[in-house]
Amino acid sequence: MVDTQKFAGNLPDQPATDGTLQPGSVLQGRYRITGVIGVGGMGSVYQARDLRFPNVTRYVAVKEMLNLSTDQGMREMTLKTFERESDMLASLSHPAVPKIYEYFPSKTRAYLVMEYINGRDLEAIINASPEFLGLEMVMKWALDLCDVLGYLHKQEPEPIIFRDVKPSNIMVDQHGQIRLVDFGIAKIFQEGQKGTMIGTEGYSAPEQYRGEASPSSDVYGIGATLHHLLTRRDPRLEPPFTFADRPVHQTNSAVSLELEAVIMKALEFKPEDRYTNAAAMKEALEKLVRSGGGLHLIESEPAPSDTTLWAQSGVEPIWVFKCEDEIRSSPAVFKGTLFVGAYDYNLYALDSATGKFKWKYPTGERIVSSPTIAAQENQVIFGSLDQYLHAVDMRTGQEAWKIQTQGPIQSSPAIAHGHVFFGSDDGNVYAVRLATGRVQWKWSGGMPIRTRPLVTGELIVVGLESGEVVGLDLSGKIVWRFKSKRAVRSSPMEHDGLVFFGSMDWQVYALDITRGWKAWEFRTGKAVVSSPAYGDEKIYVGSVDGSLYALDASSGKERWRFPTDGQVTSSPVYNDGIVYFGSVDGNVYSVESKNGQLRWSFKTQAGVTSSPVIQDGIIYIASMDRCVYALKA
Amino acid sequence: MNFLRRVLGLSSDANITPTEEGIHITQGQSPSLTTMPEESVVVTPPPSSNVVANKSDTAPAAPVPTKEMAQTKVEVGTRPLPPLEVVVPVPGQRLQFGQLSNVGMVRSNNQDSILSIVASTTSNDQLPDFGLFIVADGMGGHLEGERASAIATRIVARHVISEIYGAILDQQMNDPERPSIAEVLRAAVQKANDAVTEEIPDGGTTVTVTVVLGDMAYIAHVGDSRAYMITDDGIEQITRDHSLVQRLIELDQLTPEEAPDHPQRNVLYRALGQSDSLDVDAITRRLPPRARLLLCSDGLWNMVSEDHIQAVLAKHHQAQTACEELVKMANDRGGPDNISMIVVQVPG
Repeated sequence: MVDTQKFAGNLPDQPATDGTLQPGSVLQGRYRITGVIGVGGMGSVYQARDLRFPNVTRYVAVKEMLNLSTDQGMREMTLKTFERESDMLASLSHPAVPKIYEYFPSKTRAYLVMEYINGRDLEAIINASPEFLGLEMVMKWALDLCDVLGYLHKQEPEPIIFRDVKPSNIMVDQHGQIRLVDFGIAKIFQEGQKGTMIGTEGYSAPEQYRGEASPSSDVYGIGATLHHLLTRRDPRLEPPFTFADRPVHQTNSAVSLELEAVIMKALEFKPEDRYTNAAAMKEALEKLVRSGGGLHLIESEPAPSDTTLWAQSGVEPIWVFKCEDEIRSSPAVFKGTLFVGAYDYNLYALDSATGKFKWKYPTGERIVSSPTIAAQENQVIFGSLDQYLHAVDMRTGQEAWKIQTQGPIQSSPAIAHGHVFFGSDDGNVYAVRLATGRVQWKWSGGMPIRTRPLVTGELIVVGLESGEVVGLDLSGKIVWRFKSKRAVRSSPMEHDGLVFFGSMDWQVYALDITRGWKAWEFRTGKAVVSSPAYGDEKIYVGSVDGSLYALDASSGKERWRFPTDGQVTSSPVYNDGIVYFGSVDGNVYSVESKNGQLRWSFKTQAGVTSSPVIQDGIIYIASMDRCVYALKA
Repeated sequence: MNFLRRVLGLSSDANITPTEEGIHITQGQSPSLTTMPEESVVVTPPPSSNVVANKSDTAPAAPVPTKEMAQTKVEVGTRPLPPLEVVVPVPGQRLQFGQLSNVGMVRSNNQDSILSIVASTTSNDQLPDFGLFIVADGMGGHLEGERASAIATRIVARHVISEIYGAILDQQMNDPERPSIAEVLRAAVQKANDAVTEEIPDGGTTVTVTVVLGDMAYIAHVGDSRAYMITDDGIEQITRDHSLVQRLIELDQLTPEEAPDHPQRNVLYRALGQSDSLDVDAITRRLPPRARLLLCSDGLWNMVSEDHIQAVLAKHHQAQTACEELVKMANDRGGPDNISMIVVQVPG
């Protein structure tokens, strides 16, 4: 249906040849047209003065229904339907339903004379208000709206379904009372539209597009109207049925999560998941008001949902192993052994099934670099702040070889093409041949290199403390260079021709890996130290702003974010539809990759900057509480 | 709410011809002795040294004719190419395209606009092939549809050429201050939206634009003109229609089989010329060697199934003849709408 356009007492700008009543013309010798209130698809609504009351100015609304069908039978049927609808309206008695005074048909049209409502519709009220509408007022409207629709829904023998609940059909009269206007009579006259149209109703329930409607369809309309009122986001300008993507509380923090929950229940896609009728919704709102949840708002804490409670009590570690100092690096697991470097200078080897200590290997300083496995050589390789890259025999814990650089090593090594690649605070990227433990080449970047190099078939990509990210060919020659504004500590990751990394300049970047050209960028709320992970068409990366972000890999668009109470510097891991990561708030989180819903969280005794490793359904993660945990994924 | 309708053959103006623009830029440079053929580099320097393995260290003294050189019949080193000779791209070596826009069997006017540009460079700079492809499907009566799609096509192309191809020629693509490629495409579509809104208040248009840079494709779109990628593995729809039926399908309120019969199957919830602010989808995809990219208006995909499209593209070596067959298929099935497409062939 073509929406009604409001003309505040003005004439429509179309010529009168189409049969529009002109101001001054008199209907039935009684109603003198004074203006046009609205123009609809099947006729106009006029403001008229009732001449039976010459001494007072009494206005009425005259609704005109054009009946232009050329078919005689069709015309009669339409007229009958209209009459029936008018009778139904006339039989209603509710303060929010306009009174019907008179009905009279003519050859090509019919008129319905009804109460003139002096006020503004909710759409005009939203548009006129520069700020969010007062919550108390919106709650009152919501209750009144539920009341009148509840009244319609309980009509016998069949409930009356309004079908078109939206702000422009709801008026607030001069007494501040909600009034329902435009009872969809026009709809009965409407013929099917043909051709492509732009725009949708935005307030209609999904099933209405199949031609089905029930009282719960009106409930959807109430939910959509409240959503619009409270968020100021017009659903007609958004993709259809995407209210859930715009949580009310996120836009308007005055709205409690409880009220948001009521609105979202009304907006469920499936009718059976909504309130069955407006009365049921009213009841839920009243309960909220009584508990103070709708009006006096609770500080917004992350919703302690049932699953969280279950989760917090439900996750028991399979084993825990305690080192002598903090662990900030991430473990590696290979053939039943877990390796992890600690601030106590040692690299530990533990039985991954039991957490039993196997051996430890001491270095000369703290270890922040995460170990890498050279499977063929049976070596575990990692850097230490003692400036050495250590290669240790993973069966015995004995040194295989080590290489000295001119600075502490914070970068984690990467193994590919028979070489190990790593960066050092001395500003070099090193390529070391695994078989011999000798440096094949080094590339000088002039600034400390703390990221784990990304090695593909053709390229090595590293981030520098200068903010640069460079692509080197396998012989160590620079191919491209990209510069972000701050240091890059987030290790680059590749997917489908793009390389992804974060920067201390708060951005997450995606570059064409062959050329270093910027495909997209995304700005988080603070520095990005966490390294991205890919899965389910999304990139997952943490930010110091406290959230884990899920970004569409191909466009950089935010799909969801998961807020925690601490910095997220831990690098997430994706496995089979689930994302695992740690937060400085001390928790290890497991969330659904699809929508960011929490599956479980596990509380450690200190911040978690380490990144998890997953193997055979077990997640291994270390915490600054000195412990390594094995949890059921 | 401003409602627009893509009106079936409303215009009686018979003078409208399909908008077909094609520019083919090819820069040639005669290969010289200093231009070395690409080859894979193996890390095999002496174990004791930190010397970097250099391409030129291992390259042969005289260039080996590559397949490309042989096929373009350039005799390396014996005589220079005649000046200004245009190197005709050989299928399989360069980005190729075919394009066709057809009014269909029912309508009297063509509201679609399409545009293709390919710039291939052979030079020491080793610039990737650049391709720009646009399909726009206009809507609105009284010539408004075709005007809207034409304006959108022009403005998007203008912005992309200056902001991307211009930046490539200026060697500024690595400038961190530059907007990302996705951002340039979004801005281009937004600019086109502003122009359509202002110049054609009652018209609207879809737009699907693809920029190819080497083996990467950057796509932005609004509406229901689609991009497909066709590889040996099959055909994949890359874009997601901004249509009501698509949303209903995603919510399980409609099956894909029911969609073609839905009374509101043509309702778009996003198009150019609808409102000031526009949400533009941006997509980045790597193009495998020999992949084909198809951009098309709904006049094609409503009438010809994905399986048939894939079969036709697999059959034809020339993108242009594939376009011709696809148009014929849509018209054989009634051709109720304008049919427009661009087929891009990735070398490999």
